[in-house]
Amino acid sequence: MHLVIIGNGAAGITAARTARELLPSARVTVISDEPGPAYARCLIPEVLAGDRDPRSISFVPPGFYREHRISLLSGRLVVSLDAVGRRLTLEDGETISYDRLLVATGASPVLPDWPGADLPGVFTLRTVAQAATAGEAARRCASAVVAGGGLVSLKAAWALKRCGVAEVTVVVKSPHLLVRQLDEQGAALVQRELSRAGIKFLFGLDLAAITGGAGGRRQVELEDGRTLPAGLVLVGKGVRPNVQLVRRAGGRVGQGITVNERLETTLPGVYAAGDCVEVQDLLTGAKTNSALWTLAVEQGRIAGCNMAGRPRRYSPPLTRLYAAQFGSVPFVSVGDVRGDGETAAFQKDRVYRKLCFREDRLVGFIMVGWVERAGIYTALVRRGRPLGRLKQKLLDGTVSAADLMVMK
Amino acid sequence: MKEVLVNAERCLGCRSCELACAVAHSDSKNLLSALGEEKKPLKRIFVHQARDKKIPLSCRHCEEAPCVDACITGAMHRTPEGVVTNVGGPAECTGCWMCVMVCPYGVIRSDKERRLAVKCDRACLDEVEEPECVRACPTGALVFAEVDDYSRDRRQRFLVCLARSMDTSSV
Ligand SMILES: Cc1cc2nc3c(=O)[nH]c(=O)nc-3n(C[C@H](O)[C@H](O)[C@H](O)COP(=O)(O)OP(=O)(O)OC[C@H]3O[C@@H](n4cnc5c(N)ncnc54)[C@H](O)[C@@H]3O)c2cc1C
Repeated sequence: MHLVIIGNGAAGITAARTARELLPSARVTVISDEPGPAYARCLIPEVLAGDRDPRSISFVPPGFYREHRISLLSGRLVVSLDAVGRRLTLEDGETISYDRLLVATGASPVLPDWPGADLPGVFTLRTVAQAATAGEAARRCASAVVAGGGLVSLKAAWALKRCGVAEVTVVVKSPHLLVRQLDEQGAALVQRELSRAGIKFLFGLDLAAITGGAGGRRQVELEDGRTLPAGLVLVGKGVRPNVQLVRRAGGRVGQGITVNERLETTLPGVYAAGDCVEVQDLLTGAKTNSALWTLAVEQGRIAGCNMAGRPRRYSPPLTRLYAAQFGSVPFVSVGDVRGDGETAAFQKDRVYRKLCFREDRLVGFIMVGWVERAGIYTALVRRGRPLGRLKQKLLDGTVSAADLMVMK
Repeated sequence: MKEVLVNAERCLGCRSCELACAVAHSDSKNLLSALGEEKKPLKRIFVHQARDKKIPLSCRHCEEAPCVDACITGAMHRTPEGVVTNVGGPAECTGCWMCVMVCPYGVIRSDKERRLAVKCDRACLDEVEEPECVRACPTGALVFAEVDDYSRDRRQRFLVCLARSMDTSSV
């Protein structure tokens, strides 16, 4: 039995480890177009900042692949998938046969089609190699423009500041930062912290073009005609799932690769997991792309089990689970925080909390400045049961896991 | 693997476990000197009141621990002995609070200054291999035992894994 996994990220490595443990006799091969062992992708902003070197963010201990008898083909790009012949073709022409395949190809950053978006000095942030190159460039720059107000953009802006870039401006189309995660009040606390670090913000408009090459003076043109000097441009406008291999092989694709509850694609013997798949949000039922580390690990484990012949089901997950800290301001945002139903918000100095309810259920929450016991709220969102008497405890902020245990 | 089992019927809410845990995680390992330490030691067990019950809660060292899945650095791991911890592992904790966000017991704390998630690490086992919280419990509400040692109905009296019953992603 030859199990082949495309992708050496959170999903791929978890699946490989799981399958290896369950099926000691199988051959397990992991293929990745990135060089080297698996690394903690979420930590690449620290590589950009120069706080860590690429080797120090490894996600597996040294000797991992040898000990687990996983053959790693790194630096190798898979260019096509023949689902009928159960065969992959690599860029260099080599073909690899499989019995079961996992597609864990992740996602790629969206690069808008602004004129000049392909100029040197314009970066996205997805791989450790990009982070290292952007970091080197940043150390020679006096100014940088970051496009986008999401988590990756803000982590990048923070890192650029740490590189010593004097002027860092974040250009945000939305009216406030982190629109996916926070409301105006919560975002203001995060923005305050980033501003204290010297980062500047422009809201309500986008980039229009980037001009000037490596030699000339690079500039960013904004939608309102203004220009900003930009020694470096970093684009954080979200990601798109890597579905091409499956689509070209005839597999179904929606918001990501379509999978059933066993994480099988519509191609026989082909599974998919991680950022490349489509999931159904537990709360809204909406189909969306999976774009979280946690989900990639869970799916990787379940796909690994199924590939190894141990059937396991994957049920609709919470697709919004965010936690981070900027400066001294931590925050957590979980579930549906749009707040179009009943909400309760509390603010005291630099601590902000918002609970979002629907029909006596907690459907989402935001915590900024203080995140203790956030997991209990997450558990309540996940459970989705009527709160009854517990609601008062939630409003008082005194709810504990003990309450969940006695809750029927 | 041995687990800290909780018999809520016996808990009086005296918080001896909390105190013992904090002292065990202080620099001096001594109550009086711990009080004087610049950075106050943090307890990793919490006695809660729910309805008429008092329930001490600490990490359950879940089998498929949500905190391990959520850890973006690889710091949170399970040791060969079955202890779930973010210290002494293959990577360093950076204080991103993903684990705090997903722990359904709410027993992982966030040390914002040190950017470190703080939880039960079983670093407190004494010479008879018993955790300090269990040793300090005067009423026997906390028991450190191999779960299989307990018959089914006896086990019913103890709290078992909440995470498992709440985990929607498993079979
Ligand atoms: C800066 C940054 C910060 C983040 N922070 C967080 C966070 O705080 N919390 C969170 O939950 N998530 C975060 N994320 C998202 C998280 O990193 C992803 O959800 C996670 O990495 C997805 O894992 P994956 O295994 O599905 O895909 P990936 O990690 O993207 O791995 C896919 C792998 O497949 C390889 N591959 C793709 N196509 C091919 C091919 N044709 N041939 C060979 N190899 C191929 C790629 O090279 C890559 O190695 C962050 C992401 C970034 C970039």
